[in-house]
Amino acid sequence: MSEIDEAADPAALIEAYYDAGWTDGLPVVPPSDASIAATLAAAGLQGHEVLGEIPGRNTEVVAEKAAINAVMAGCRPEYMPVVVAAVRSLCDPAFAYHGPASSTGGSAMALVVNGPICKRLGINSGNNLFGQGHRPNATIGRAVRLIMMNTMNTRPGFLDRATLGNPGKYSFCFAEHEDEHPWEPLHASRGLARHESAVTLIASNSLYQIYNQLAATPAPLLLCFADALGNMGSPNLKGFNQTLIVFAGEHADILKAARWSRGDVQQFLMEHTRRRLADFKRAARVPGAVAAADETTWRHVFERPDDILIVCAGGRAGSWSACLPGWGNKWTRAVTTRIDDVATPRGRQA
Amino acid sequence: MKLFDPTSKPVERAVVLAPRPASPRGLRIGLVDNTKFNSDTLLRKLADRLAARHHMTVSVTSRKRSPSHEVDEAGIAALRAQADLVISGIGD
Repeated sequence: MSEIDEAADPAALIEAYYDAGWTDGLPVVPPSDASIAATLAAAGLQGHEVLGEIPGRNTEVVAEKAAINAVMAGCRPEYMPVVVAAVRSLCDPAFAYHGPASSTGGSAMALVVNGPICKRLGINSGNNLFGQGHRPNATIGRAVRLIMMNTMNTRPGFLDRATLGNPGKYSFCFAEHEDEHPWEPLHASRGLARHESAVTLIASNSLYQIYNQLAATPAPLLLCFADALGNMGSPNLKGFNQTLIVFAGEHADILKAARWSRGDVQQFLMEHTRRRLADFKRAARVPGAVAAADETTWRHVFERPDDILIVCAGGRAGSWSACLPGWGNKWTRAVTTRIDDVATPRGRQA
Repeated sequence: MKLFDPTSKPVERAVVLAPRPASPRGLRIGLVDNTKFNSDTLLRKLADRLAARHHMTVSVTSRKRSPSHEVDEAGIAALRAQADLVISGIGD
């Protein structure tokens, strides 16, 4: 620690964090003893507690450091349980942190928040879902990225080797729109109870929006998704990895009206997201010359229906949805972690 | 006003390095294939050259689950028991 006379120049303290190399490029909120203590208390943590570790990197994330980064990101104390659950997801062996965090692919850590905590914290699940304007969305995701940089050594050019990165690397957090949902929400589909709150972490390459204003039934609508998911430049194309799809209002309504289940949608997309082997070879995604049989040999992009994660969120109006292609060839898996929500006793159960 | 350091240092763990062989001649080679494209090809060609130049033999190949994962315990045990020299570290 060092002493800064912020009374003479309040900006000097912010500049000091820049000078130390501790920011993501945006100004940070300078922490204080009080704000760090409040953040730890809001998650029921002691400063020395270890939230998780990455054994291959000899890395541990300690609660006090996570709290400092959360304050720097602009989090209110009550956001901390969500940040903690996200860190625990990062450290889950199934997520295999090293790849998605360090790859040239430059994935964002997309955080989908479910359960009662979303409304209590005001995490946006509606209009401008991936955009600006909502403090918890902006700061929870930012806190996770700062924790990665500052406590897990995942710094650009060092252990973050992204060729391009993507804007979601600054922050990527949103809630699912659980009201009027066609099915059970994401966390319930992954084994948790609806009344619980949870974070689902998925390493995502840049999202792209899917447009279709004319489709009135599921099949033509979903063919647009299948085509997008099977594009020849997609990193997903031959790895059988996971993908997250976000259906916004009008598209979700089409599926709901047709009474398609989540499984129906997943099955349709698995069957229709495919390309001919000849396409792979012409685009040099598979080595070798094109043979006659390659024109009728199909390769599917997904191996199992539940590799397609589905979320309903976004504005009620507009014919837009989104694909968030997962990073890596099944080297990483999405991880859902229950939020230890100290504000509601039930959050501590199970 | 204080600056609060948000960074952590890696956790220090004691590591005992294997003794370095006095000569490369006749060593048993262990290969760690990290599953990157052409990793196995490159490792094999490297091993062939070492064999030709120093009379080494490939005694064990451990294939990782993915580049993101560490070598598993069984792989470590096999390398420790069967190899004098291990080659790893293939990138894109």
